[in-house]
Amino acid sequence: MSILDTSVSGMLANSNWLSNISQNVANANSTGYKTADTQFSALVDQSPDQPSAGAGVTATTTSLNSLQGQIASTSTTTNLAVQGAGFFVVEDASGNTFLTRNGTFVPDQSGNLVNAAGYYLMASDVQGGSSNTSVNSLSGLQKVNVEGAADSASPSTTANLVANLPSTATAIPAANLPSTNTNPMTYTDETTMVAYDDLGGAHTLDVFFANTGPNSWEMDVYDASTATPGGATPFSSGPLATQELTFDPTTGALSPSTGVTTPPNGSPILIPVPGGQTLSLDLSQTTQLATAFGVNSATINGNAPGSLNGLAINASGVLSFQYSNGSSQNAYVIPLANVPSPDNLTSVLGGAYQVSNTSGPLQVGNAGAAGLGTLDSSSLENSTVDLATELTSMVEAQSSYEANSKVFQTGSDILDILNNLKA
Amino acid sequence: MTLSSAYNIINSAFAVTGAQSATIARNITNASTPGYSREIANVVDNPYGGADVASITREANSALLDQVNSSTSESASQSAIAAGLATLAQTVSDSASSTSPSGATQNGASPSAMLANLQSALSTYEADPSNESVGEAVVSAAGDLTASLNSGAAAVQQVRSQADANMAASVATINSLLNQFTQVNATVVNGLHSGADISSAQDSEDSILTQLSQQVGISTTTNANGSVSIYTDSGVTLFQDIPQTLSFTPSPTLTAGVSGNPVTVDGIPITGASAPMAVQSGALAGLAQLRDTIAPEYQAQLDQISGGLVNAFAETDQTGGTAPALPGLFTFPGATGVPSTTQVTGLSSQIEVNPNVDPSQGGDVDLLQNGGISDPGSATYTYNTTGAAGYTGRIQQMVSAIGATQSFDPSAGLGASDSLSDYANNSVGWLQGQNQQATDAASYQSSVVTQATSALSNATGVNLDTEMTNMLNIENSYTTSAKLLTTVNDMFSALMNAA
Repeated sequence: MSILDTSVSGMLANSNWLSNISQNVANANSTGYKTADTQFSALVDQSPDQPSAGAGVTATTTSLNSLQGQIASTSTTTNLAVQGAGFFVVEDASGNTFLTRNGTFVPDQSGNLVNAAGYYLMASDVQGGSSNTSVNSLSGLQKVNVEGAADSASPSTTANLVANLPSTATAIPAANLPSTNTNPMTYTDETTMVAYDDLGGAHTLDVFFANTGPNSWEMDVYDASTATPGGATPFSSGPLATQELTFDPTTGALSPSTGVTTPPNGSPILIPVPGGQTLSLDLSQTTQLATAFGVNSATINGNAPGSLNGLAINASGVLSFQYSNGSSQNAYVIPLANVPSPDNLTSVLGGAYQVSNTSGPLQVGNAGAAGLGTLDSSSLENSTVDLATELTSMVEAQSSYEANSKVFQTGSDILDILNNLKA
Repeated sequence: MTLSSAYNIINSAFAVTGAQSATIARNITNASTPGYSREIANVVDNPYGGADVASITREANSALLDQVNSSTSESASQSAIAAGLATLAQTVSDSASSTSPSGATQNGASPSAMLANLQSALSTYEADPSNESVGEAVVSAAGDLTASLNSGAAAVQQVRSQADANMAASVATINSLLNQFTQVNATVVNGLHSGADISSAQDSEDSILTQLSQQVGISTTTNANGSVSIYTDSGVTLFQDIPQTLSFTPSPTLTAGVSGNPVTVDGIPITGASAPMAVQSGALAGLAQLRDTIAPEYQAQLDQISGGLVNAFAETDQTGGTAPALPGLFTFPGATGVPSTTQVTGLSSQIEVNPNVDPSQGGDVDLLQNGGISDPGSATYTYNTTGAAGYTGRIQQMVSAIGATQSFDPSAGLGASDSLSDYANNSVGWLQGQNQQATDAASYQSSVVTQATSALSNATGVNLDTEMTNMLNIENSYTTSAKLLTTVNDMFSALMNAA
């Protein structure tokens, strides 16, 4: 009797809807949860020798995986949210790859970033300057580990000194110039710069300027650690670098290399840092004007050894280590992955998804690249469930179920009448 | 936009008003903290309709801060000089109201006043040469004069030693401040990098810089990574990533002619006349100037007066021979002759009345009028060759010697030739002039500091009215958000009841 079957299928479909609603309401606060939508479609009885007749309804569930949830701020740097399309690539404890929007990542006991559902975040390791994710591939992705990052030091290689030398200075006789390394040191002005060697050791460089005549100067760089104890001159070894400087009498700027010995005037001055690299000191902004000596800026790269004291993750998914010496180093690039039909991904436990036949192939790329969203650090994506919508649907589902049960009741009454005909 | 999203937006509103209230609370609490800069919570809207506190910044004005620091340095250097000069000026304790019997300005216990007293005692003695008690009055006036010179020299030495000790303290303070700065600077660099709230660290940086400029004039530059480099006003690096250490060896005693040690940074002297890069301002510069220039100059003047006295009262060969001139009334231990103007270094602390003429030391006052103080009984230096009673020739010579023009070392700053009394007078005038100038400069610079500080405070300080207005705004915002929450909740209740 099709009246009973049809109404039963209606009741079944509506109870499926109700179960989806209860799933949505239950996950109203699950990070990265996507609303499950219920679709109904009619079933038709198509026996070959009869005209087609209604045979009930079926309900299918679709997870609306491409909806964007609201982003809420947290105070944990490693909490991540995706703004736009794309999923995090994660791995479970046994090494299977999944996708998720649940970015509740925090370090586990060994420092690997893992989310609340137990999935490990995967990224390409760029420490030591290795390459970035190759597009469309999961190969080379590793668990992101934020513990035990080694201390970092970098040697100084470039420096820039912007100073003014007084044009009013009186010349120092050639026999007394700082390059002669005599005691007491005779000079017009002096400044110091701190450079770092290969191992991050600090070396104070004493930079002496001595006027040698109108518009011409001699610059000598000494390693302060070779000074006689107490910081006194002479130094135990000669200058690291000696350079003649001539200035334009009209503009006060450093002149091009007219009549100046090698290395040419104005070009970077090469200073071998003891135990380190050759420091290229740019003096091109230094002037000679009729005012007192003054340093306007002295910058030098390189860092003393620093320990890891923080993380930063930018919108393109670059995770960098922040060191106590103020330097930072890129460590991982967190990729995003997507499929052509996100709604057809297979949902698995913990807000994760698996690629299915109907979802299409996996595409991996950098956050912010074409078609993929960007990353927000210290943020989480809220559930897309709207309680008001779900409650409304619930009322609707209840009425619909009730209507189907009335139809069933009527069918049942009709059968009763039939049965009573005989009696 | 759904009813659920309204909850999230309200949530962010609560978070933002919380952060703003915390900022206002901090501002109000620190309203009277010197050097505190007002903090502002910068609120931005987010793509989902809510708001976030993007950063907390502080009102800073580096130009005004530089002005406060440079005027603080100037003021500190002038006050250091003024304090030293005030000590020196006490030795001449000018009581302007008191005048000597002759009507000349009486300069208290200054050498100039004592010299005038000696001159008038000699004149009295000249009029009454046979009165021995008048002669003793001359010796006693001479004793007062040497005591005045001795105490002047002692004061100079005390001022210089004190300045030297203060320099050592100043160097210790600078080194400690530079070490503190290392920590704070690292916090700022780190915080800028990681996005942490660094406003209180920046306040500490500013406060350390102001304390530092009290000690030494500074200039600063800020690098791209937020690290601040500190240079002295003469350009010597004090801090760049790491602090440089100032070294100084204090001298326990600084006698005349001995110069104190310079303060050095990494081997580069930053005080002393010969330093190519000497600091220009700050307490250190003022103390160095006091120790190395002003006090020694006054010492040199006292020495010149002492040398002039020994020379003016020296006894010469009266027999027409070539015996050298010997010190007469005024002498110094171990004297074998009279010193030239360039050989008098430290003489003012040694000058004394010749014991041969001082009755309290067993001497004979009569030698004063007869001569031979340097060598009693010797015919060579005896002026009263006839042995006449009441001889006044020598006394007249001595009176006129005080007013006679003689030569002085011009390096003492008071000219090369003058009479002894004028020279002594000029010296007192010089000291009082310097003192006046330093006091004026110190009070002027101190008012500049006050003005600069209040300008900075107006620009970056906390205005309680503004904070109060902001507080009311935030309260309204919070109340409205809470009302919104109740309303959304009521709407949900309605829905629940409908279901």
